[in-house]
Amino acid sequence: MTLRNTTQRWGVIAQLFHWLIVALLIVQVTLAEMADDLPNGVRKLSLLARHKSFGITILMLVILRLAWRSLNTHPPLPDNLKPYERSLARLTHGALYTLLFAIPLSGWTMSSARGFPVSWFGFFQLPDLVPKNHALYEWLVMTHVTLVCVLAAVVALHMLGALKHHFVHKDDVLKRMLPFTRT
Amino acid sequence: MRRAPLMLTLALALFSAAAAAAPAPAVAPAAGGAHYTLDAAKSSLEFTFLQAGARNTGRFPRFTVTLDCGASEPAGGRLAVTVDVAALDTGDTDRDEILRGDDLFAVKKFPRATFSATHITKSADGYDAVGALTIRGVTRETHVPFTFREASEAGATVGYMAGKTVVRRLDFGVGQGDWKATDQAGNEVTVSFALRLTRAAH
Repeated sequence: MTLRNTTQRWGVIAQLFHWLIVALLIVQVTLAEMADDLPNGVRKLSLLARHKSFGITILMLVILRLAWRSLNTHPPLPDNLKPYERSLARLTHGALYTLLFAIPLSGWTMSSARGFPVSWFGFFQLPDLVPKNHALYEWLVMTHVTLVCVLAAVVALHMLGALKHHFVHKDDVLKRMLPFTRT
Repeated sequence: MRRAPLMLTLALALFSAAAAAAPAPAVAPAAGGAHYTLDAAKSSLEFTFLQAGARNTGRFPRFTVTLDCGASEPAGGRLAVTVDVAALDTGDTDRDEILRGDDLFAVKKFPRATFSATHITKSADGYDAVGALTIRGVTRETHVPFTFREASEAGATVGYMAGKTVVRRLDFGVGQGDWKATDQAGNEVTVSFALRLTRAAH
Protein backbone atom coordinates (compact mmCIF):
# COMPACT_ATOMS: atom_id res chain seq x y z
CA MET A 1 0.00 0.00 0.00
CA THR A 2 1.38 3.39 -0.97
CA LEU A 3 1.12 6.76 0.73
CA ARG A 4 -0.46 8.31 -2.34
CA ASN A 5 -3.64 7.16 -4.02
CA THR A 6 -3.48 5.04 -7.13
CA THR A 7 -6.19 4.43 -9.71
CA GLN A 8 -6.70 1.07 -7.98
CA ARG A 9 -7.10 2.07 -4.33
CA TRP A 10 -6.87 4.82 -1.73
CA GLY A 11 -3.38 5.43 -0.31
CA VAL A 12 -2.38 5.47 3.34
CA ILE A 13 -2.85 9.23 3.73
CA ALA A 14 -6.37 9.29 2.28
CA GLN A 15 -7.37 6.29 4.39
CA LEU A 16 -5.93 7.90 7.48
CA PHE A 17 -8.02 11.02 6.85
CA HIS A 18 -11.15 8.94 6.26
CA TRP A 19 -10.90 6.72 9.34
CA LEU A 20 -9.53 9.40 11.66
CA ILE A 21 -12.56 11.56 10.88
CA VAL A 22 -14.87 8.57 11.44
CA ALA A 23 -13.30 7.98 14.86
CA LEU A 24 -13.48 11.67 15.79
CA LEU A 25 -17.16 11.87 14.77
CA ILE A 26 -17.94 9.03 17.19
CA VAL A 27 -15.95 10.81 19.93
CA GLN A 28 -17.82 14.05 19.16
CA VAL A 29 -21.29 12.55 19.49
CA THR A 30 -20.25 10.80 22.70
CA LEU A 31 -18.81 13.97 24.26
CA ALA A 32 -21.88 16.00 23.29
CA GLU A 33 -24.26 13.41 24.76
CA MET A 34 -22.26 13.18 27.98
CA ALA A 35 -22.10 16.96 28.38
CA ASP A 36 -25.82 17.29 27.70
CA ASP A 37 -26.63 15.13 30.72
CA LEU A 38 -24.48 17.12 33.15
CA PRO A 39 -25.39 20.16 35.24
CA ASN A 40 -23.40 23.34 34.66
CA GLY A 41 -20.00 22.88 36.23
CA VAL A 42 -16.38 22.03 35.72
CA ARG A 43 -17.04 18.60 34.20
CA LYS A 44 -19.51 19.88 31.66
CA LEU A 45 -17.22 22.76 30.67
CA SER A 46 -14.29 20.38 30.32
CA LEU A 47 -16.25 17.97 28.07
CA LEU A 48 -17.51 20.85 25.95
CA ALA A 49 -13.99 22.32 25.68
CA ARG A 50 -12.81 18.95 24.36
CA HIS A 51 -15.79 18.72 22.00
CA LYS A 52 -14.90 22.12 20.56
CA SER A 53 -11.21 21.22 20.21
CA PHE A 54 -12.02 17.96 18.39
CA GLY A 55 -14.54 19.80 16.21
CA ILE A 56 -11.87 22.25 15.11
CA THR A 57 -9.55 19.28 14.55
CA ILE A 58 -12.14 17.75 12.19
CA LEU A 59 -12.43 21.05 10.34
CA MET A 60 -8.64 21.17 9.91
CA LEU A 61 -8.53 17.52 8.79
CA VAL A 62 -11.27 18.10 6.20
CA ILE A 63 -9.37 21.05 4.74
CA LEU A 64 -6.17 18.98 4.56
CA ARG A 65 -8.11 16.03 3.19
CA LEU A 66 -9.59 18.05 0.32
CA ALA A 67 -6.19 19.56 -0.40
CA TRP A 68 -4.67 16.08 -0.50
CA ARG A 69 -7.50 14.85 -2.72
CA SER A 70 -6.86 17.67 -5.18
CA LEU A 71 -3.12 16.83 -5.34
CA ASN A 72 -3.76 13.15 -6.01
CA THR A 73 -5.34 10.83 -8.43
CA HIS A 74 -8.05 8.64 -6.94
CA PRO A 75 -9.71 5.36 -7.82
CA PRO A 76 -12.71 6.02 -10.08
CA LEU A 77 -16.22 4.73 -9.56
CA PRO A 78 -16.71 1.35 -11.22
CA ASP A 79 -17.74 1.46 -14.90
CA ASN A 80 -20.81 -0.71 -14.47
CA LEU A 81 -22.75 1.80 -12.34
CA LYS A 82 -26.10 3.04 -13.59
CA PRO A 83 -26.30 6.81 -14.12
CA TYR A 84 -28.55 7.28 -11.07
CA GLU A 85 -26.09 5.29 -8.91
CA ARG A 86 -23.27 7.46 -10.18
CA SER A 87 -25.23 10.65 -9.32
CA LEU A 88 -26.18 9.29 -5.93
CA ALA A 89 -22.55 8.50 -5.12
CA ARG A 90 -21.45 12.01 -6.16
CA LEU A 91 -24.28 13.59 -4.19
CA THR A 92 -23.53 11.56 -1.06
CA HIS A 93 -19.81 12.35 -1.14
CA GLY A 94 -20.50 16.03 -1.81
CA ALA A 95 -22.94 16.12 1.09
CA LEU A 96 -20.43 14.43 3.42
CA TYR A 97 -17.72 16.96 2.66
CA THR A 98 -20.16 19.88 2.92
CA LEU A 99 -21.47 18.68 6.28
CA LEU A 100 -17.96 18.08 7.62
CA PHE A 101 -17.36 21.80 6.98
CA ALA A 102 -20.75 23.06 8.05
CA ILE A 103 -21.04 21.21 11.35
CA PRO A 104 -17.77 22.43 12.95
CA LEU A 105 -18.37 25.92 11.54
CA SER A 106 -21.89 26.04 13.01
CA GLY A 107 -20.47 24.87 16.35
CA TRP A 108 -17.70 27.46 16.29
CA THR A 109 -20.15 30.23 15.33
CA MET A 110 -22.53 29.07 18.03
CA SER A 111 -19.79 29.37 20.67
CA SER A 112 -19.00 32.88 19.45
CA ALA A 113 -22.68 33.87 19.54
CA ARG A 114 -22.93 32.55 23.09
CA GLY A 115 -19.85 34.47 24.18
CA PHE A 116 -17.75 31.38 24.96
CA PRO A 117 -14.68 31.66 22.73
CA VAL A 118 -13.12 28.51 21.32
CA SER A 119 -9.61 27.37 22.12
CA TRP A 120 -7.85 24.50 20.38
CA PHE A 121 -6.80 22.27 23.30
CA GLY A 122 -5.55 25.39 25.11
CA PHE A 123 -2.80 25.92 22.52
CA PHE A 124 -4.43 28.86 20.79
CA GLN A 125 -7.67 30.74 20.84
CA LEU A 126 -9.76 31.04 17.70
CA PRO A 127 -11.27 34.39 16.75
CA ASP A 128 -14.97 34.89 17.34
CA LEU A 129 -16.87 34.54 14.06
CA VAL A 130 -19.85 36.66 15.15
CA PRO A 131 -20.50 39.04 18.02
CA LYS A 132 -22.55 37.84 20.99
CA ASN A 133 -26.17 37.36 20.03
CA HIS A 134 -28.49 35.11 21.98
CA ALA A 135 -31.17 34.70 19.30
CA LEU A 136 -28.51 33.73 16.77
CA TYR A 137 -27.01 31.33 19.32
CA GLU A 138 -30.33 29.51 19.77
CA TRP A 139 -30.84 29.28 16.02
CA LEU A 140 -27.30 27.90 15.61
CA VAL A 141 -27.82 25.25 18.30
CA MET A 142 -30.81 24.01 16.32
CA THR A 143 -28.82 24.19 13.08
CA HIS A 144 -25.83 22.34 14.58
CA VAL A 145 -28.04 19.53 15.87
CA THR A 146 -30.09 19.33 12.65
CA LEU A 147 -26.94 19.13 10.53
CA VAL A 148 -25.66 16.29 12.72
CA CYS A 149 -28.92 14.39 12.12
CA VAL A 150 -28.57 14.98 8.37
CA LEU A 151 -24.96 13.75 8.60
CA ALA A 152 -26.11 10.58 10.37
CA ALA A 153 -28.58 9.93 7.53
CA VAL A 154 -26.00 10.57 4.80
CA VAL A 155 -23.44 8.38 6.62
CA ALA A 156 -26.03 5.59 6.74
CA LEU A 157 -26.56 5.94 2.99
CA HIS A 158 -22.77 5.99 2.46
CA MET A 159 -22.36 2.78 4.48
CA LEU A 160 -25.26 1.08 2.69
CA GLY A 161 -23.66 2.03 -0.61
CA ALA A 162 -20.31 0.59 0.46
CA LEU A 163 -21.94 -2.64 1.62
CA LYS A 164 -23.98 -2.92 -1.58
CA HIS A 165 -20.77 -2.58 -3.61
CA HIS A 166 -19.12 -5.27 -1.55
CA PHE A 167 -21.92 -7.83 -1.28
CA VAL A 168 -24.17 -7.12 -4.26
CA HIS A 169 -21.87 -5.76 -6.96
CA LYS A 170 -18.97 -7.77 -5.52
CA ASP A 171 -16.51 -5.04 -6.54
CA ASP A 172 -13.56 -3.55 -4.63
CA VAL A 173 -15.12 -0.15 -3.73
CA LEU A 174 -15.24 -0.97 0.00
CA LYS A 175 -11.95 -2.85 0.12
CA ARG A 176 -9.98 -0.05 -1.50
CA MET A 177 -10.73 2.20 1.50
CA LEU A 178 -9.85 -0.51 4.03
CA PRO A 179 -6.34 -0.85 5.39
CA PHE A 180 -4.75 -4.30 5.52
CA THR A 181 -6.62 -5.57 2.46
CA ARG A 182 -5.41 -6.35 -1.03
CA THR A 183 -7.20 -5.35 -4.18
CA MET B 1 -10.77 63.31 94.69
CA ARG B 2 -8.77 60.12 94.94
CA ARG B 3 -10.34 58.65 91.85
CA ALA B 4 -9.42 61.44 89.47
CA PRO B 5 -5.91 60.27 88.59
CA LEU B 6 -7.28 56.80 87.90
CA MET B 7 -10.00 58.11 85.61
CA LEU B 8 -7.49 60.28 83.84
CA THR B 9 -5.12 57.36 83.34
CA LEU B 10 -7.95 55.22 82.05
CA ALA B 11 -9.12 57.90 79.67
CA LEU B 12 -5.59 58.43 78.39
CA ALA B 13 -5.11 54.71 77.97
CA LEU B 14 -8.34 54.37 75.99
CA PHE B 15 -7.47 57.36 73.88
CA SER B 16 -4.04 56.08 72.99
CA ALA B 17 -5.43 52.62 72.25
CA ALA B 18 -7.98 54.15 69.90
CA ALA B 19 -5.28 56.22 68.26
CA ALA B 20 -3.10 53.15 67.74
CA ALA B 21 -6.01 51.16 66.27
CA ALA B 22 -6.88 53.85 63.76
CA PRO B 23 -4.89 53.43 60.54
CA ALA B 24 -2.25 56.08 60.44
CA PRO B 25 -2.73 58.17 57.33
CA ALA B 26 0.30 58.22 55.07
CA VAL B 27 0.01 61.96 54.98
CA ALA B 28 -2.16 64.16 57.06
CA PRO B 29 -5.02 65.30 54.85
CA ALA B 30 -3.55 68.68 54.16
CA ALA B 31 -5.59 71.75 53.57
CA GLY B 32 -6.28 71.93 49.87
CA GLY B 33 -6.35 68.14 49.67
CA ALA B 34 -8.73 66.54 47.24
CA HIS B 35 -11.56 64.07 47.54
CA TYR B 36 -12.40 62.14 44.41
CA THR B 37 -15.48 60.00 43.89
CA LEU B 38 -16.43 57.69 41.08
CA ASP B 39 -18.31 58.74 37.99
CA ALA B 40 -19.86 55.29 37.63
CA ALA B 41 -21.40 55.95 34.23
CA LYS B 42 -17.99 56.62 32.70
CA SER B 43 -15.97 54.00 34.53
CA SER B 44 -15.35 50.32 34.06
CA LEU B 45 -14.01 47.49 36.14
CA GLU B 46 -13.38 44.28 34.21
CA PHE B 47 -11.91 40.87 34.80
CA THR B 48 -10.43 38.45 32.32
CA PHE B 49 -9.64 34.80 32.82
CA LEU B 50 -8.89 31.74 30.75
CA GLN B 51 -11.61 29.13 30.42
CA ALA B 52 -10.25 25.96 28.81
CA GLY B 53 -7.62 28.11 27.15
CA ALA B 54 -10.06 30.71 25.83
CA ARG B 55 -10.18 34.25 27.13
CA ASN B 56 -13.41 35.13 28.95
CA THR B 57 -14.20 38.66 30.02
CA GLY B 58 -16.64 39.95 32.57
CA ARG B 59 -17.31 43.21 34.30
CA PHE B 60 -18.45 44.47 37.64
CA PRO B 61 -21.05 47.09 36.80
CA ARG B 62 -21.58 48.21 40.40
CA PHE B 63 -18.72 49.50 42.51
CA THR B 64 -17.61 52.60 44.34
CA VAL B 65 -14.24 54.31 44.53
CA THR B 66 -12.99 57.11 46.71
CA LEU B 67 -9.55 58.63 46.52
CA ASP B 68 -8.35 61.08 49.14
CA CYS B 69 -5.06 62.72 48.48
CA GLY B 70 -3.21 65.96 48.10
CA ALA B 71 -4.44 68.14 45.27
CA SER B 72 -3.71 66.47 41.92
CA GLU B 73 -1.31 64.03 43.53
CA PRO B 74 -2.39 60.47 44.38
CA ALA B 75 0.96 59.64 46.01
CA GLY B 76 0.54 59.60 49.76
CA GLY B 77 -3.21 59.38 49.45
CA ARG B 78 -5.77 56.76 50.28
CA LEU B 79 -7.86 54.69 47.94
CA ALA B 80 -10.97 52.74 48.86
CA VAL B 81 -12.84 50.47 46.46
CA THR B 82 -15.97 48.44 47.17
CA VAL B 83 -17.29 46.05 44.56
CA ASP B 84 -20.75 44.52 44.43
CA VAL B 85 -19.59 41.05 43.41
CA ALA B 86 -23.10 39.67 42.92
CA ALA B 87 -23.66 42.17 40.11
CA LEU B 88 -20.91 40.55 38.01
CA ASP B 89 -21.73 40.22 34.33
CA THR B 90 -19.96 38.02 31.79
CA GLY B 91 -22.71 38.32 29.22
CA ASP B 92 -24.06 34.84 29.91
CA THR B 93 -26.49 34.06 32.72
CA ASP B 94 -25.31 30.46 33.13
CA ARG B 95 -21.69 31.54 33.46
CA ASP B 96 -22.68 34.35 35.83
CA GLU B 97 -24.62 31.92 38.04
CA ILE B 98 -21.63 29.56 38.19
CA LEU B 99 -19.36 32.46 39.22
CA ARG B 100 -21.82 33.61 41.91
CA GLY B 101 -22.11 30.08 43.28
CA ASP B 102 -20.80 28.80 46.59
CA ASP B 103 -17.68 27.21 45.06
CA LEU B 104 -16.57 30.45 43.43
CA PHE B 105 -17.52 33.95 44.65
CA ALA B 106 -20.17 32.69 47.12
CA VAL B 107 -21.95 36.02 46.80
CA LYS B 108 -24.68 35.16 49.31
CA LYS B 109 -22.09 34.98 52.05
CA PHE B 110 -19.58 37.44 50.58
CA PRO B 111 -21.53 39.99 48.58
CA ARG B 112 -18.71 42.53 48.50
CA ALA B 113 -15.05 42.66 47.63
CA THR B 114 -12.96 45.58 48.85
CA PHE B 115 -9.60 47.12 48.22
CA SER B 116 -8.25 49.57 50.70
CA ALA B 117 -4.91 51.14 49.89
CA THR B 118 -3.22 53.34 52.46
CA HIS B 119 0.13 53.38 50.79
CA ILE B 120 0.29 54.99 47.36
CA THR B 121 3.70 55.73 45.92
CA LYS B 122 5.03 57.11 42.66
CA SER B 123 6.47 54.54 40.30
CA ALA B 124 8.41 54.76 37.05
CA ASP B 125 5.29 54.87 34.89
CA GLY B 126 2.64 56.09 37.30
CA TYR B 127 1.68 55.03 40.77
CA ASP B 128 1.57 51.92 42.87
CA ALA B 129 -1.20 51.37 45.40
CA VAL B 130 -0.46 48.80 48.07
CA GLY B 131 -3.29 47.70 50.25
CA ALA B 132 -5.61 45.06 51.52
CA LEU B 133 -7.65 43.26 48.89
CA THR B 134 -10.53 41.27 50.33
CA ILE B 135 -12.36 38.76 48.15
CA ARG B 136 -14.60 35.99 49.45
CA GLY B 137 -13.68 36.97 53.00
CA VAL B 138 -9.93 36.47 52.47
CA THR B 139 -7.64 39.48 52.76
CA ARG B 140 -4.26 39.71 51.07
CA GLU B 141 -1.83 42.50 50.48
CA THR B 142 -2.01 43.43 46.83
CA HIS B 143 -0.20 45.85 44.54
CA VAL B 144 -2.27 47.78 42.05
CA PRO B 145 -0.25 49.85 39.60
CA PHE B 146 -2.15 52.67 37.94
CA THR B 147 -1.84 55.85 35.96
CA PHE B 148 -3.52 59.07 36.92
CA ARG B 149 -4.09 62.30 35.13
CA GLU B 150 -6.25 65.24 35.91
CA ALA B 151 -8.30 67.20 33.45
CA SER B 152 -10.57 70.14 33.54
CA GLU B 153 -13.92 69.42 31.95
CA ALA B 154 -16.75 71.92 31.81
CA GLY B 155 -15.42 73.72 34.81
CA ALA B 156 -15.04 70.57 36.91
CA THR B 157 -11.81 68.86 37.82
CA VAL B 158 -11.81 65.17 36.99
CA GLY B 159 -9.22 62.48 37.42
CA TYR B 160 -8.68 59.59 35.04
CA MET B 161 -7.31 56.53 36.72
CA ALA B 162 -6.47 53.33 34.87
CA GLY B 163 -4.53 50.20 35.50
CA LYS B 164 -4.60 46.47 35.92
CA THR B 165 -3.34 43.81 38.22
CA VAL B 166 -3.26 40.04 38.21
CA VAL B 167 -5.07 38.30 41.03
CA ARG B 168 -4.62 34.59 41.69
CA ARG B 169 -8.16 33.50 42.49
CA LEU B 170 -7.13 30.48 44.59
CA ASP B 171 -5.26 32.76 47.00
CA PHE B 172 -8.70 34.05 47.95
CA GLY B 173 -10.49 30.71 47.95
CA VAL B 174 -12.37 31.57 44.77
CA GLY B 175 -12.47 27.98 43.62
CA GLN B 176 -13.59 25.23 45.95
CA GLY B 177 -14.22 21.59 45.13
CA ASP B 178 -13.84 20.88 41.40
CA TRP B 179 -12.94 24.52 40.82
CA LYS B 180 -9.61 24.12 42.62
CA ALA B 181 -8.32 22.69 39.37
CA THR B 182 -7.01 25.38 37.08
CA ASP B 183 -7.26 23.64 33.70
CA GLN B 184 -10.87 24.70 33.12
CA ALA B 185 -10.71 28.07 34.87
CA GLY B 186 -7.24 29.58 35.08
CA ASN B 187 -5.87 30.69 38.43
CA GLU B 188 -4.73 34.05 37.11
CA VAL B 189 -7.44 36.64 36.72
CA THR B 190 -6.54 40.00 35.24
CA VAL B 191 -8.51 42.82 36.81
CA SER B 192 -8.43 46.04 34.84
CA PHE B 193 -10.06 49.37 35.43
CA ALA B 194 -10.55 52.68 33.68
CA LEU B 195 -12.12 55.18 36.03
CA ARG B 196 -13.35 58.71 35.77
CA LEU B 197 -13.28 60.40 39.15
CA THR B 198 -14.86 63.71 39.95
CA ARG B 199 -13.07 65.92 42.39
CA ALA B 200 -14.58 67.82 45.25
CA ALA B 201 -12.39 70.17 47.25
CA HIS B 202 -12.17 69.39 50.94
